[in-house]
Amino acid sequence: MKLSAGDFLCLEGDFASSLYIVISGALVGSCSGQVSTDAKRFEPGSIIDVFSLLENAPREYTLKAEEDCEIQVVDHEQLKAILDEKPSWLRSIIEFLIRRNHIGEENKRKSDLVQALPSLLYLFSGLLKELNSNTVPVSLLSERAARMNGSRPEECRKLLRMLQELGVLKIQDDSVQVESRELIHLLYETLRYRALEHKVSPNILSMTDQMVLTVFIKLSRQNKAPLRNGLSAIPTSELKAEAKKSMHGMTLTTRTIGSLVEKGILTPDTTLDFHAKLEQSEFFFGDFDRIMDLLELNRIFPLLDKKLVE
Amino acid sequence: MNGNSLQQVIPPTHISVKAGFVVYSHNDQERKIIILDKGELAAVDSTQSPRKVMFTMQPGDLVGVAALLEREPFRYDLEATVDSEITVVGEDCMESELKNIPLWLLAVIRELSARNRQRKENSRNSRAKNALISLAEFCRHQKKDEPYPLEGLIQEFCWQTKASAPSVKEDLKALCRRKFVDISGPTVTVTQPELLELFADYLEAQEQDKPWPPLQLTLNQKKALIRLSIIEKATPQDPPAWLTFFQKNNIALTAADWIKMQGLGWFEKPKENLFAPDLKKIQYFLLALRYEINLRGTI
Repeated sequence: MKLSAGDFLCLEGDFASSLYIVISGALVGSCSGQVSTDAKRFEPGSIIDVFSLLENAPREYTLKAEEDCEIQVVDHEQLKAILDEKPSWLRSIIEFLIRRNHIGEENKRKSDLVQALPSLLYLFSGLLKELNSNTVPVSLLSERAARMNGSRPEECRKLLRMLQELGVLKIQDDSVQVESRELIHLLYETLRYRALEHKVSPNILSMTDQMVLTVFIKLSRQNKAPLRNGLSAIPTSELKAEAKKSMHGMTLTTRTIGSLVEKGILTPDTTLDFHAKLEQSEFFFGDFDRIMDLLELNRIFPLLDKKLVE
Repeated sequence: MNGNSLQQVIPPTHISVKAGFVVYSHNDQERKIIILDKGELAAVDSTQSPRKVMFTMQPGDLVGVAALLEREPFRYDLEATVDSEITVVGEDCMESELKNIPLWLLAVIRELSARNRQRKENSRNSRAKNALISLAEFCRHQKKDEPYPLEGLIQEFCWQTKASAPSVKEDLKALCRRKFVDISGPTVTVTQPELLELFADYLEAQEQDKPWPPLQLTLNQKKALIRLSIIEKATPQDPPAWLTFFQKNNIALTAADWIKMQGLGWFEKPKENLFAPDLKKIQYFLLALRYEINLRGTI
């Protein structure tokens, strides 16, 4: 087949069962979602649309002759004729390679998405601080993500949708809105800690810790007393009584609350003696917003990995 | 391009094996494709204790394609779990068969194999187009004037982007030379995060071969920019009033300048044709002018 410079050979997305081999000249291929400067050039020896030949896949590119070209077209009938006269293992090998390509493609897509999440959270948290707002334009976020680690806009949108399903944020028109800016930062930090320290982040709490904090939040909401230095203060006696009710009869002890004190999430009004009774402290203090964020993080984090590979 | 020739084809080997026979050991140097015709084979990881069966093969399954075509090591031992029949396609056999197929089919096989190899290679590398832009974007979100452990910062950036640590070190030095960050001993401090944004924009424009607007201003436009930056409280005005304002300050601007300034975003979206300066944008352009030398890296 001969083409003159400027002629179109095929359109992206056309269904076909043949491939092209460039014998002479050059073709330029463009496809959707590609920056114009990234147009691919096919020179003599190039083979285009292997998957159209093998499994009738749509054309990968819109192809235009950059100069006068000679193209060889190989169609499915030719392939079938050759494979029929060759040993069957050759067909098996080709089928294996096709399967491997599809699996590889799928794995790459998943790993790109997993890889894109930390930088998206990092940039999101940074932009929320920079703009001093709870809203960030999606376009700005995906532009920055592309700049930092080459994430594609569709990956950003997918990750944002996933975070929306988890209740972390809300997508409205072209912007993403969060209720808590700190939660995005906490999510990033928890991922970072797991990846770089190879340990569970201290932000990930045991079930008991989460139950104690839920009790603390419940009492803080009911508490009409003013905040002390911006912190909620709950009397130990109330904490114990409510814990017994909400935690299936469990008695709150110094040991149960100890890890939250060690992590600095709850603070007793006196230095806590871990061998003495819990009543040694009259009050326990905690930052309401921080505790809410931590509880939210602990709800979301176990679901995150599952969501990512769905 | 049909590539048919009269090369002699070396046939594959057909073997019958008893249960327990090791068909392939991961230590074998010889690369081959093993096709199971009858029976069952198990791929066993003998480096683990106890040995772990990774997968089993049923008639029609094959292994070793990646080893033969992509030079990828096959990590497991292959054992017959029952009496089996296999076909072994060795390197010689494969080569002789490939010599007897049309060139285009050979190219198809090579293309499929190359795609796999390329994809694997790509997944190991950073997807960022420009490592320096990527690092500048990362650093600008770090807290200003707070020292971070150098190794920790590099590790965190590499985790996010898959960049290689030695190249990140070199890029950090480039940012340090431009006085955007400061490296002293084992710590790194981001001293000018706002300039890192400009730097990333500047590099991006350069990479796309586009002029970067802050460095394309005429003398009068620069003067107008400086004048706008020192207005304490700007009341929104219509374009003729703004031009008069500049004229009073000895800055002779034309209507074309006004259109350019609007295009550059120096004024917020007008309400009833009344324009107010966008102080954030003006600050951006001003910083670019002030630190042009740092941005260009010609210190």
